[in-house]
Amino acid sequence: MAANLEEFLLSPAVWQPQSSGAAVRLKHALGPLGVYTAGSTLLRTQWEAGGGKLPTHLIDLTAIPGLDRIAVQNGELIIGATARLNDCSSHPVVMERAPLLADAIRQIAGWSVRNQATLGGNAASRVGDAVPALLALDACLVWHDGEKQYTEHIAEWLSVQNWPGMLEWVETRDTIGLRLLTSIRIPLPDEYTTKQTRRWFAYHKAGRREAFMPSLVTAAVAAEVGEDGAFADIRITAGGGRTVPLRLTEAERLLRGRRPEAAALRQVHEAVREQYVPEPDPFATDDYRKLTLANLIAAELWKRK
Amino acid sequence: MALNRETSGNRWRIRPDGPGKVTGGLAYLTDLSAPNMLHGLVLRSPHAHARIAEVRTEEALALPGVHAVLTHADVPGLNRFGIAHPDHPVFCEERVRFVGDAVAAVAADSAELAMEALARIEVDYEYLPVVSDPELAMREDAPQLHERGNIQHRNDYVRGDVEAAFAASAHIVEDTYETPRQMHTYMETEGGLFVPEADGRLTVYSATQHGLMDRMQLARILARPEADIRIVSSPIGGSFGGKDELNVQPYGALLALACGRPVKLHNNRFESVRAGLKRHPMRITMKTGVDAGGKLLAHRVRIVSDAGPYSTLSAEVLNFAVEHTLGAYRYEAVEVRSFCVFTNNGMSGEFRGFGGNQALFALEGQLDRLADKLGIDPWELRRRNLRQRGDPGPFEQPIAQTDGARQVWEALPASRLWLERAEAAAAAEAAPAAPTASAAPAAPLGMTPDADLRSASSGTAEAATLQLPWLKIGYGASFVMHGAGLGVGIPDPAGGRLTLAPDGKIEAAFGYEEFGQGLIASLEQMLIEKFGFAGSDLRLVVGDTDAVPDSGSSTASRATSMMWQALERMREPFAHSLLQVASRVLVLPKERLRIGEGGVCDAASGERLLAYRELAQSAAEPIACETSFSYPASPVERVGAHYLYTYCSVGVKVEVNTLTGRVRVLDQFHAVAAGPVVNPQGFLGQIEGGASMALGFTLTEDAVMNSGMYLTRNLDSYLVPTIAEQRGRVEVLPIEELPDGDAHGPRGIGEVGSVGLAPAIAQAVFNAVGKRVSKLPIDPAELQEVPDIVKEGSCPV
Repeated sequence: MAANLEEFLLSPAVWQPQSSGAAVRLKHALGPLGVYTAGSTLLRTQWEAGGGKLPTHLIDLTAIPGLDRIAVQNGELIIGATARLNDCSSHPVVMERAPLLADAIRQIAGWSVRNQATLGGNAASRVGDAVPALLALDACLVWHDGEKQYTEHIAEWLSVQNWPGMLEWVETRDTIGLRLLTSIRIPLPDEYTTKQTRRWFAYHKAGRREAFMPSLVTAAVAAEVGEDGAFADIRITAGGGRTVPLRLTEAERLLRGRRPEAAALRQVHEAVREQYVPEPDPFATDDYRKLTLANLIAAELWKRK
Repeated sequence: MALNRETSGNRWRIRPDGPGKVTGGLAYLTDLSAPNMLHGLVLRSPHAHARIAEVRTEEALALPGVHAVLTHADVPGLNRFGIAHPDHPVFCEERVRFVGDAVAAVAADSAELAMEALARIEVDYEYLPVVSDPELAMREDAPQLHERGNIQHRNDYVRGDVEAAFAASAHIVEDTYETPRQMHTYMETEGGLFVPEADGRLTVYSATQHGLMDRMQLARILARPEADIRIVSSPIGGSFGGKDELNVQPYGALLALACGRPVKLHNNRFESVRAGLKRHPMRITMKTGVDAGGKLLAHRVRIVSDAGPYSTLSAEVLNFAVEHTLGAYRYEAVEVRSFCVFTNNGMSGEFRGFGGNQALFALEGQLDRLADKLGIDPWELRRRNLRQRGDPGPFEQPIAQTDGARQVWEALPASRLWLERAEAAAAAEAAPAAPTASAAPAAPLGMTPDADLRSASSGTAEAATLQLPWLKIGYGASFVMHGAGLGVGIPDPAGGRLTLAPDGKIEAAFGYEEFGQGLIASLEQMLIEKFGFAGSDLRLVVGDTDAVPDSGSSTASRATSMMWQALERMREPFAHSLLQVASRVLVLPKERLRIGEGGVCDAASGERLLAYRELAQSAAEPIACETSFSYPASPVERVGAHYLYTYCSVGVKVEVNTLTGRVRVLDQFHAVAAGPVVNPQGFLGQIEGGASMALGFTLTEDAVMNSGMYLTRNLDSYLVPTIAEQRGRVEVLPIEELPDGDAHGPRGIGEVGSVGLAPAIAQAVFNAVGKRVSKLPIDPAELQEVPDIVKEGSCPV
């Protein structure tokens, strides 16, 4: 352990920038010594377990006005990065227009954690339980690089290999690790246009107990179902444990334009087991997790019949 | 009648420690601090097995604000602890044998400084091969962890010719049962405050289940007279056996004395997991034979128990397991071989149920498998083999006779849950539906736990869920005969004291501990109901070695029974003394007086004549009464054999989700024959709470180790049941009747609730999906299936 006692005894300095731009500029200035935080729930579990150093500087995002705002704008649901998980899942607009996300959030950790933790933090961890839902909802991430804001599709971001973990950001000098997630944008269907399809969602988190557990498998489905019961469009996503969530494209392809009849279910079941390659978990085999995912997705589709 | 708040009437009382615990107002011992206090920490081995080449403490000691750095060289007395076999080093000298082993301890001005000091202690280790498999540890070529070898204890029991009995058997089943390394998971982790007093004594504020035992062990380590040590040990935020053995006390005591200042130690959860005790993982192989009529003939058992690196009570736990692998049944011939083995895994030790949990999971599993072979109801098979009134105990020893076994056996078929099960079976039989997509394998009770059964259930929500073909329902039961008390061969003292204190309070002093089980609530209730005192008349004194008599330990389901016995013994003499003095003061014949609320009353009118405060002031000498006796033991030589038993039957209903293989317990029934209910709330709490621990043991809990290292280091991966697991109903039926002339009163109920649920769930799972579970916690992968809805040629319903 570092021998500088004075430094060791100092608690982290907490900075409270008043804008996203100021936060990112602070991060640029502090470099590896500073770390963004809001609810701090994930960071705290990591440093309590001895897996991460207590940072010297905490950049507290919760003082930034409006960063926790939840609103509908231009046909999109916009959720600020520091919106608390419980505030998201109980927000009337989220409950009504994005019930899949509300479902997913209610499965994250325990009630007290959800009172502190933020949607931005869950998303930024890349393996949070909300991420499969956001991916299924075709969400976009809004970043601030210190000068400007820009938007990135969540699928694009998730496809980046070797993304550093939250605490590793402390160490990294890579500029991509310096940017800040400011909000999440979820496209909403036009509620005033009469459509021939209806939306359908499903979310599952399976772990080693009923609640407040790390996930072994998470699955999210968002679909447009035609009057004939066939899927006009469907997105199926999967995560679980340390697995970075992905779209199960082969299963989606098999279902597009089809009803979930027995033959389709069989093919989907097989395709899911084929495409899903979970990161290893010490408490469950890959085979168990693949079969769990395939079973849960097939069962949800069967219930739609 | 089921036990609950409504049926208990005015016997359902608010426990005296309830408001403080619910509001958070009550201070536990780990909440205490003292002026001028230092913070202590223990340096523990990072290796499961290593030789210590050198320990250098100079740098740590040189750090300003660090007041002591201690190693084995600083232990003035015995550098060992252990309730029964002191072989656990306070500080390791030359070798560490598990990841919790202590090498040094520090005291510093702050917790952060103490942590920094730990980091500056340099220890050179030479790795040694890790012994993590108890079976391999028993081999002669295995690295030996102790001079005496790796087998800590053996206990065999043989009666009759078991080979001949197998030869005569019509059916034989054999299986190997494995149970998890369960953690006590008390809310309050180990810790305490250690205060050197001005008069040279040491006060230890730290949880234990037996203050006088801690005092003896600390005196031995500190090389001081026991009288120089005071142990204050209640209230406790949960123990379940896990705090009976010493944990932080040696370090706190040594540091406080070395520094001459109060020292506080409090394990965080990571350290608690690493250093603390766990339930012994056991591997129990059983081969059991019956004749064609279902009579048990032969029973062969082999137990291998993983003790971890040191003894603590591992031998005693093994003895208990041996007795309870025989359990409530009669056999022609039995043979038990058992081994308790040292390994470099985490420490195993005392845990609620004390080896009975592992034993019963195996034994009841055998009965269920045999019933299946015989084609009869598993409950009927138990009836045919149960010990009858008048029969001896499992070791053929004399036991206190009751009708408990028969009573709890009869209670199950009459229970609401079993009537529901019978109705479901009848409905299934009446309408033998076409096989559905989810046709289950043959169920042993002639039931098809599929759509037919589901349609029979009531409640629309439940019925709606149950239409899903991958959800399977099953029922299972188990029979428990659980011994209480420490057993033959172990000193098992009991006793208590009643005093009319100078301030007029009736002081009841017992050497027991309140760790959440409701001990003081039960003591209060007995004093109110047996004597007629009011709650406000009483002062209950527990958990302070300076203030209590030797009552023995608060373990082995014994404390409430022994308090009841002690009060029985003291009732007449104490009441007599009080009334005699009152009679003199009031100038009234003693016969006209009785004990009442707030004071001595007129026996006829109930009018209060003399407040206890006035009585105390009038007494020439203190009015006191003390009793001392022993827990009743069977008059045999067999070490560990019990004399008093509690009987239970446990029925459960489960739902298996074959998509995930996960099991949910929907409903539980517990019939408990343990004599009179002393405290309804406490009784219910013990059975429900024990069942909740058993639920974790069965479904989610295991402190997983790999080469002597914990993979589950915290409560985010070691998973105790949450309220979501416990949504099911729990019905508790106490059977209070005891035979005429029974002198022993209420039997122990502190452990039984934790014993019977696992085998009942395993049988219910079999009933639901036709798969036998023999390893706990249940691995969902074993119960998971590819659903019929995606199978070739299937026709989804």
